[in-house]
Amino acid sequence: MHFPTTLTRADAETLLIHEADLLDTRQLDDWLKLFADDGLYWIPLDPAEEPGQNAAIVYDDTLRREERVYHLLHVDFPAQSPPSRTLHLIGNVRVQEHAQGFLVKSNQVIYEMRTGDSAQVGIGEIQPLVTMMEHICRPTAEGMRIVRKTIMLMNHDAWLGNLTFLL
Amino acid sequence: MSAMFAREHEGGEAGLDPSSLIWQDERHFRVHTRAYTDQAVFDAEMARVFSKVWVYVGHESEIPNPGDFKTAYIGTQPVIVSRAADGTVHVLVNRCVHRGAVIARETRGTVRDFTCPYHGWVFGLDGKLLAVSERNDSGGYAPDFDAPEGLHRVPKVDAYRGLIFANLDPDAVDLDTYLGRAKKTIDRKFGRSPAGRIALRGKPFVMRYQGNWKFQIENIVDAYHFLHTHKGFVALQAKYGESTGDYGAHKGGSAKAMRQIRFKGASWALRHGHAQLENSGTADPEALLNGPHRAYYEALRDIHGEEEFAFVVGRMSGTIFPNLGLIHQQIRTWRPIAPDLTEVTIYLYDLVDAPHEFNEGWMRSQERFYGPAGHGMADDVDIFARNQQGLAGSAVDWLVLERGLQTDEKLASGDIKGLPASEAPQRALWLAWKQLMARR
Repeated sequence: MHFPTTLTRADAETLLIHEADLLDTRQLDDWLKLFADDGLYWIPLDPAEEPGQNAAIVYDDTLRREERVYHLLHVDFPAQSPPSRTLHLIGNVRVQEHAQGFLVKSNQVIYEMRTGDSAQVGIGEIQPLVTMMEHICRPTAEGMRIVRKTIMLMNHDAWLGNLTFLL
Repeated sequence: MSAMFAREHEGGEAGLDPSSLIWQDERHFRVHTRAYTDQAVFDAEMARVFSKVWVYVGHESEIPNPGDFKTAYIGTQPVIVSRAADGTVHVLVNRCVHRGAVIARETRGTVRDFTCPYHGWVFGLDGKLLAVSERNDSGGYAPDFDAPEGLHRVPKVDAYRGLIFANLDPDAVDLDTYLGRAKKTIDRKFGRSPAGRIALRGKPFVMRYQGNWKFQIENIVDAYHFLHTHKGFVALQAKYGESTGDYGAHKGGSAKAMRQIRFKGASWALRHGHAQLENSGTADPEALLNGPHRAYYEALRDIHGEEEFAFVVGRMSGTIFPNLGLIHQQIRTWRPIAPDLTEVTIYLYDLVDAPHEFNEGWMRSQERFYGPAGHGMADDVDIFARNQQGLAGSAVDWLVLERGLQTDEKLASGDIKGLPASEAPQRALWLAWKQLMARR
């Protein structure tokens, strides 16, 4: 793969759609590889803060991302028993230059549900998550790598339900 | 038995016999399904529990200056916690006394007064009615208008070490008496700060679950569930715990080590429904005094003395009935919305004057476990919803809460001391609940 020097909106959309596909089909080990070694996966309680300043919904460096994926793929736990299905819809993609390379902004709506006896509370209910996302991408010899994925939930400061899957 | 309950509950709250919902004798301590599911029980709880006891409404640091306010709830009743010009804290029912509109919609803010958006009535920071708009205009109020005094002021407000409590019952016992031995939970937790104070940090985690509010009280002091509900987390601890920032919060990289900690110390069912898990002996004071934060621990030992130091640095968690939990470095509060809907809020805090790295470590550690995407808390709230769903199986009358009942030791104070992983802390709330619910 050649060292990318530009990122068009079409390139950015291809990147985001590829990421969403990995998440929605649970190819999570491959999702990990999209990140740079110093990458951060961040879902803030307060998007006005700097990353790490205070506790976040998710503040995952490389090891914590690995832990989260290991948890989802190899460990049985109540909040993901049964596991979540997700579907990402991506829109309003914009690309800006950034000190690290490029900043890709998008609006994403993620639909989530857990399968099982759908007569039961919390099962078979579709939960929509309305988000604004920012991917800071760094060009490398292996292609674009995510330096920071920030997910700003529309309801970050309101009550939240189960978010033990990847957004 | 179910048929009998059905008849009793036909009359709504008035027809309720709460004593029939708890089966208590030498061998049994069981709670009836309806105590968690019945709307009439829930309505009675709002009237007989939340309107009669001290309810946690906030921390003083949330409203540091005159004009600062925050919103909170006493059961299902919305309130404003406000700091007046003279520095006193008032708890006001968040409802205009004219025609009922909610006065404050923000969770926090700073104001000069409270003005109702509907007709413009103005109230002071202490709730006093300051102005009625167009009072004397045509079609206005009579000269002898019997104007309400102001926003309804909750009659009793008091604080303990910065924790603000309010009580709708003017005849209630004072806060100090109400807290009793539960003050030890607060003293020891906040006593980990060399300054004896905490500082809330960042925005809180707010979660809702489709289950009864009492599941949360039972759970936060439940040493028994950890290795089962959180067996997935235990697996993560074994593989990643030291590297992803546990910082000693859950202690031990193995299930065996985590079990040993949870089966040490004592559990308490305190008067007025509070509970404690008091695990002295879970920390090694000598190791701490020779470890990386030596100066910090020496300061704590000098403040508290050798004996109390072992408790201050040991594991300790507790509930203060009906809506406050203290565990790790967090204040947790919950509010009932319906028999099967509850909101939980977790405020993380720093220990003032503790080493920076220590506070950072605890913050990252709790972030890993708590919140809607955390590796532990999400399992708890999932179980609460699962419990509520299970109770739809109403052919089963009782939930069993008698683990360790035979080893409970009732002290002269009225407090009950149990063995560490017994269900004494879960029984605490039900003992108070039964007394409160019996009153009209």
